[in-house]
Amino acid sequence: MKAYDVIIVGGGHNGLACAAYLARAGRKVLVLERRERVGGAAMSEEVFPGFRFSVFSYVVSLLRPEIIRELELARHGLHILPLESTLTPLANNDYLAQWSDHDRNRRELARHSPRDAEAYDEFGLLLHRMARAVKPLLSTAPPDPASLDPRELFDLLRLGRYFRGLPEKDLHALWKLLTMSAADYLDEWFESEALKGTKSASGIIGTLLGPRSPGTAYVLLHHYMGELDGVFRAWGFAKGGNGSVSAAIAAAAQAHGADIRTGAAVAKVLISGGRATGVVLENGDELRASVVVSGADPRRTFLGLVGEEHLPEDFVRSIRRYKFRGASGKVNLALGELPRFTCMPQDGPPHLLPHLRGAVSISPSVDYLERAYDDAKYGEISRRPYMDIVMPSMLDPSMAPPGKHVMSIFVQYAPYHLNGGWSDARREEFGNTVIDTLAQYAPNLKSAILHRQVITPADIERIVGLSEGNIFQGELTLQQMFFLRPAPAWSRYRTPIHGLYQCGSGTHPGGGVMGASGRNAALAILGRRA
Amino acid sequence: MSDVVIIGADANGLVAADVLARAGHQVTVVQEERTPQRTMGWVPPQLAADLHLSGLTMACPDPWLRAPLGDGTMLELWRDVARSAQAIRRVSPRDAEHWPRFCERMATLARLLERLYVEPPPSLVDLRFALKLRRLGRQGMEDLMRLLPMPAAEWLDDWFESDVLKGALGAHAVRHLLQGPRSAGTAFRLLHYHAGNPPGVFRVPASNLAQLLRARSTAVREAKVSRIVVRSGQVSAVVLDGGEELRASLVVSAVDPRRTLIDLLEPGWLDPDLVRALRHVRSRGVAAKLALALERTPDWKTLTLAPSLDYVERAYDDAKYRRVSAQPWLDVVADGKSAEVHFQYAPHAQAADANIAVKLLAPHLPAIIDCKILPPPRAWPEGQPHQAELSLDQALWMRPLPELAGYATPIKGLWLGGQAMHPAVPGVAGYNCARQMLRGA
Repeated sequence: MKAYDVIIVGGGHNGLACAAYLARAGRKVLVLERRERVGGAAMSEEVFPGFRFSVFSYVVSLLRPEIIRELELARHGLHILPLESTLTPLANNDYLAQWSDHDRNRRELARHSPRDAEAYDEFGLLLHRMARAVKPLLSTAPPDPASLDPRELFDLLRLGRYFRGLPEKDLHALWKLLTMSAADYLDEWFESEALKGTKSASGIIGTLLGPRSPGTAYVLLHHYMGELDGVFRAWGFAKGGNGSVSAAIAAAAQAHGADIRTGAAVAKVLISGGRATGVVLENGDELRASVVVSGADPRRTFLGLVGEEHLPEDFVRSIRRYKFRGASGKVNLALGELPRFTCMPQDGPPHLLPHLRGAVSISPSVDYLERAYDDAKYGEISRRPYMDIVMPSMLDPSMAPPGKHVMSIFVQYAPYHLNGGWSDARREEFGNTVIDTLAQYAPNLKSAILHRQVITPADIERIVGLSEGNIFQGELTLQQMFFLRPAPAWSRYRTPIHGLYQCGSGTHPGGGVMGASGRNAALAILGRRA
Repeated sequence: MSDVVIIGADANGLVAADVLARAGHQVTVVQEERTPQRTMGWVPPQLAADLHLSGLTMACPDPWLRAPLGDGTMLELWRDVARSAQAIRRVSPRDAEHWPRFCERMATLARLLERLYVEPPPSLVDLRFALKLRRLGRQGMEDLMRLLPMPAAEWLDDWFESDVLKGALGAHAVRHLLQGPRSAGTAFRLLHYHAGNPPGVFRVPASNLAQLLRARSTAVREAKVSRIVVRSGQVSAVVLDGGEELRASLVVSAVDPRRTLIDLLEPGWLDPDLVRALRHVRSRGVAAKLALALERTPDWKTLTLAPSLDYVERAYDDAKYRRVSAQPWLDVVADGKSAEVHFQYAPHAQAADANIAVKLLAPHLPAIIDCKILPPPRAWPEGQPHQAELSLDQALWMRPLPELAGYATPIKGLWLGGQAMHPAVPGVAGYNCARQMLRGA
């Protein structure tokens, strides 16, 4: 039997990226994936005959450009199609559209508020600058601020020097973004309700917080971070669905010699004398390696695969209080015809319907989102949910049979901790709420639906293995970010068990199909800095 | 002739006046409204010593928190940590066990705040500040980093299970803030109100600081200020409502920065970017104050009606949509046959409903003879006593704006020393401001 240096538990995009980097550095790597296919939540599947879906995560935005470069993902089949617009339908049959064309965008904004059109560019420039300031942190292993280890102290000083090098004005602007609510922050810039609603929506994704809660402004940056790397890599689809991202990374890993085994569920990490020595599979097979890397979330990794008996008490307490609270669901629709949004011109061939080639956002105002949150805060499905809708078949016709379409609806809020718990009936109720809400803007939707797939946070947990269905492997709130992710003193991908590392989104920087956690973990294992 | 004019005769104005007078300045205080009877806030020992305050009283009621348990009895939290733990044992033995450690950990962090509060705010990238943080030790640093951005609810959930305990503490954390206990960044306010208190007390103490100083100051003018006059970038006089001009080379404003720099200052002196930023300083009042007349003197001093975190959060939900809470959380402080009620949330410019308060309070109070709503003092913009809401983005080096955090303004000789300034503790902001002026002089 082949001997491995490294075993990676979980073939999500981070596990695969970690594998690819380690294999590229000459390590013998084995990736073990519980399911029959790799990708974790970044996967495509033909859910209904002829209709392919990015079942869970559905857009590519933050995938680190260095990963695309270093792993030559384009050569391994990754092709990203840009999303061109965002349409926010409004109740009065009006709409707010944001176009990639600058002049067109400005004219549209001015139609709602000339002041906002003025402010928009300045706002964009500021956020660009902030995103640029934060970007280097994404590829940094966060040092422990309480550490006495000279290496970490050195990193701390380096970090300190980096921040001291930034203009003070920018630091203060960054502090505001970190500590303010999206609603308050946007109020300082804009007056149009639809614009503020749509912009603040990006601040609540994946988190059980409303747009008026402090800490939600920071995520506004993420949208600009994607754009920084060039328009082509801004928000977009992977051709063939998000599974193509995972497939490309897997292909790169294999090209460097990594082995990937699917249908291989890990039951336990083997530990002896405080060291990880391998894993045992659910079928009883034992596999040995001196380094084990877990791509699973912190709860599954430490309370499941490792077991608290092997861990210090303080650490277990930190992991126990680490918050997941999944808040989002998904509805995937197979459509016999395109939805006709009453607020937009409705006729013409698909290529003349540019608004359907972008995202449609149901976020008419900040209050709308906040009310959606109010329901979830007390354990109910939002009666009027926020939705982010894309139609991949508009850009990639291979996703659906000719003339037919697939629609992906990301929905918030659907709280994991639903009053009374999730059941089949509640899932259907959730699906109906989504369809009913959307049908108010596109009345032909109901009759266009051929099939529907409804995914609740409980389903995400069951199928993909993300605790409480949190799409980021743990909430991206300040108290769970940077050197606190996932636990104080353990933010550098190491764990209290020698030879056991973490590489999932539950580590810095976490969240989104970014791959940074996987890459950073690999570099930490190799003893290198990014 | 005086060379310093202070606008506002509250604790901040009077402390600044006293510090400057001691340094040999001729100081005139313009009193725009009555000096409050009680000053709500911690008086640092250093300030009391510097101002030679004798007769200073500063106290919280003991028990400092009383919350009804539904069975007619009360949960009482005392200055004595062990006694509180004893009381908590009745609602949750587990919480009782956690209480002493919670108090100790919070006190460690509060000591750091106390040191930070009697100095101008540190700079965000100040190395000395970083070292101060490291001196907290691993546990303290971890606690601080986690606590600062956290919702109070989450922090309390970490420690306790009792709804009554968490509800009451959570309510006090969001006192005078347009956020609910589930909003991020509210945990640190628990700490803010804790600073200066003994371990286990999370209520702001009341002192006679302003009254003591008011009795002491001689040159006080009772008038309204209408204008601040500037000559070639240097402040030169304060004009009173009647048109009288008080010449001064130094002016300290204890009223809010927006009024000071936008309304009182002659226009044209400030950078438009600064004016824009000033207009964005948030200062939304959220509470009403009610005065009750009682039939007899109750046998207690304080009562908090905030039975759970959800209760407080729902009260906030109304305020979010600019409505008065249908079920507000209430805090009563009794003084003889009269009592004052803190009613939250009642967004500014919305009349609080005294009837709701009376109805909620009736089962717990002696018969209420009269209840009236007191208007907020003029010095509270939009009814906000902190003058600028105390939230993380308006605290420390950000308070009220990074450009103004050092108490100086772009106008030479014009200083800010009110509640909108770090550390938002009455008297201490004025103290820091005056000392900063003397350092510069």
